[in-house]
Amino acid sequence: MAISFKQIEDKLKTEAKGLLETGKVSLVLAYGKGYDEKHPMPYVARRPSDADNIVFNEFCTHNMARYMVRYPAGTKMAVAVKAADSRAVIQLIQEEKVKREDLVLLGIPAYGMKNPKTGETIDSKTTCGLYNPVLYDVLLGEEVHGQPVVSPYDVLAQYEAMDKEARFAFWKKELDKCIRCYACRKACPMCYCDPCFIDQNKPKWGEKSPESAGNLMYHLTRFHHLAGRCIDCGECSRACPVNIPLYLFHKKVAKDCEDMFGQAAGMSVEDKPVLVNFRVDDSDKILE
Amino acid sequence: MSFEPKILGIACNWCTYTGADLAGTTRLQYPQNLRVVRVMCSSRINPSFIFRAFQLGADGVLVGGCHPGDCHYNTGNLYARRRLAVTKKILEFSGMEPGRFRVEWISASEGNKFAEVVTEFTKQIKNLGPQTQFKISQ
Amino acid sequence: MLKKTAINKATELAAALMEKGTLIAPVKEDAGFNFREISDAKQVDLNFHNTIISPKSAFFPQTEDFVRYQTGKSILEATPVELNIKPAFLFGVRPCDVKSFEIMDIHFSGTGLVDPYWQKRREATTVFGYAFDLDKPAEAEEFYQTLGIGAADPEGSDIFMVKKDNDLLMKAITPRGEKLLTGLNIPSEASADDEKYFDDTVAAGRNFKTRSTCVDARATAKKFEDLFHNTDFWEKMSHACLSCGACTFVCPTCYCFDICDETLFSRGTRRRVWDACMFTDFTLEASGHNPRTKVYQRLRQKVCHKYSYHVRKYGVISCVGCGRCTRYCPVNIDIFSIVEEAVKA
Repeated sequence: MAISFKQIEDKLKTEAKGLLETGKVSLVLAYGKGYDEKHPMPYVARRPSDADNIVFNEFCTHNMARYMVRYPAGTKMAVAVKAADSRAVIQLIQEEKVKREDLVLLGIPAYGMKNPKTGETIDSKTTCGLYNPVLYDVLLGEEVHGQPVVSPYDVLAQYEAMDKEARFAFWKKELDKCIRCYACRKACPMCYCDPCFIDQNKPKWGEKSPESAGNLMYHLTRFHHLAGRCIDCGECSRACPVNIPLYLFHKKVAKDCEDMFGQAAGMSVEDKPVLVNFRVDDSDKILE
Repeated sequence: MSFEPKILGIACNWCTYTGADLAGTTRLQYPQNLRVVRVMCSSRINPSFIFRAFQLGADGVLVGGCHPGDCHYNTGNLYARRRLAVTKKILEFSGMEPGRFRVEWISASEGNKFAEVVTEFTKQIKNLGPQTQFKISQ
Repeated sequence: MLKKTAINKATELAAALMEKGTLIAPVKEDAGFNFREISDAKQVDLNFHNTIISPKSAFFPQTEDFVRYQTGKSILEATPVELNIKPAFLFGVRPCDVKSFEIMDIHFSGTGLVDPYWQKRREATTVFGYAFDLDKPAEAEEFYQTLGIGAADPEGSDIFMVKKDNDLLMKAITPRGEKLLTGLNIPSEASADDEKYFDDTVAAGRNFKTRSTCVDARATAKKFEDLFHNTDFWEKMSHACLSCGACTFVCPTCYCFDICDETLFSRGTRRRVWDACMFTDFTLEASGHNPRTKVYQRLRQKVCHKYSYHVRKYGVISCVGCGRCTRYCPVNIDIFSIVEEAVKA
């Protein structure tokens, strides 16, 4: 069964309009028209009439959870969430950045989304590969079943098999491309620190100039800060103007966290993020 | 000239640092390659310290904390254990030799263990040779 | 003078230029094309639409070392980094990007305050403009035509190149270009037919369609001034903006920079690094006060600077319509749509 994007769009409009009319929410985070059909934009509907501007198509890849933390605590909002986006919302609830009762989650089951820049289909290679939102209040459409379930970590095998020199060379080549526009951290729903460690001057954690040393410091620390929190939406890599495959490192860290601590990020509101949690019987083996 | 590695030791105030003191007062011999920084708890260690140490030319980093369950602040090292495990994985995936970073639980009474660990770790780093991957060339 | 060379002989042309100086030309990389200093003539690849980073980096690199110093010593012992400028050739620049150099000249040398780094590089560099391929429609992001820049405008280039089937027609525009072209023994003389093709292409480039709306610089500038306090408008325009620096870093006319000292073990460098008005800490003052804390304020600054303040001060829009900011925006914000909305508002 193919996904009817048009149907989702219609439902999204109706839901948004209803929620804004009844005053249940003060804003709806969804997608709106961009400069052409292939480039829709994140959109905030504030009035019932704004709901008509909402669009949804296969290019609506942006993670709307990114925008939730921008509004003052307690703002009632509805958020259009695809599978990975809903995990981001859960993670943000775990981290107490938003409250579940303030949110209405409009779940979007989808597959076959396309990267607006390259036109490539987005699948488990660059994202978590789930089809259905993990958490939602209203599901716009029917749950997707019968699609192949691929582990999001399969893509890592080839990099894990590299010897360490080759892997270092690979990351050096990739990270040296970085121009430090910080699109990755700004597109990331989990990167909400103000200020970010790399912007600090006292202490100065790393160089600001886009050269090997500062790039390595920035990215490795960012990978670390997202350990156990990255929900694998792949936004960082899609946002990157120079195509650094950041998702690979994030996937690897997510996989290790799952192996070591037995919990994937953003799967249940009851969980605690793995790195602000511990178990007395954690094995010392994880340090070997 | 033989290679004398620079090793950064980050030791918790209550156990490992006191353990190092004990090693000193009992006149135990261990290599001088270790430069120790004292922190109040192993969970105070920001992973960036470790990345930065490697960038600034450390050939190895040794982190010492209290044994799990013995933390002066009850749970600090339990958080640290998870965090530093992730640090190790990140270093490994970035292409750094995993042997250059080590976490050990050394209590205040384990002066012997401290000397042993430092001796062994120094030997290991000597075998690995100078760390060049992260080091910023000047 | 018009000369001609086969496109597949571009390598020979590149090699000839490399003998005379540094060659900076488009190179294909995994993310797309970029201008790079060429070490092997085979790297030059003219099979591109436009580069990711604009060619401003040839004159205004992202990091520029000024002074090396040692801390704890007298400031007098700091040594300036020598500006080692050699003749250079910037090869294959699209007409809109050539125009951007003119706009950047205003800031780096035109107002009386001269930036020697920019100016000396600019003086030492021969610019080879390269017309867009008129057989292919313009990309959706581009709007240079709207700002009065043709797809094949030779102005500003020293030598202008047009692709004709499998040949590259090269015309000297300035005396410097004339001298260089005469001295190059690779390209052969072009026929009268080629002359006509060249002129036709330049003329056709003026009518090449990008986006239809026409912009009146003064009226737009005024409109933006009126809209300055319209917070609703700016909030609406910026609700998608992530406030990252992708747009400014790829832009050919953004020139903001930060001076930072990078010190390691008492030895350090004072260097200039690109900065972006979209960053939160761009306007952060030493007191801790930040006049632009909101995303809408920063986006307003960017758009108004290009389309309003710049027009009022220097009479030209500080945008050349290359479309890079739109193309590389993670959330598809289109600067020209904002201009259109503003005109309508």
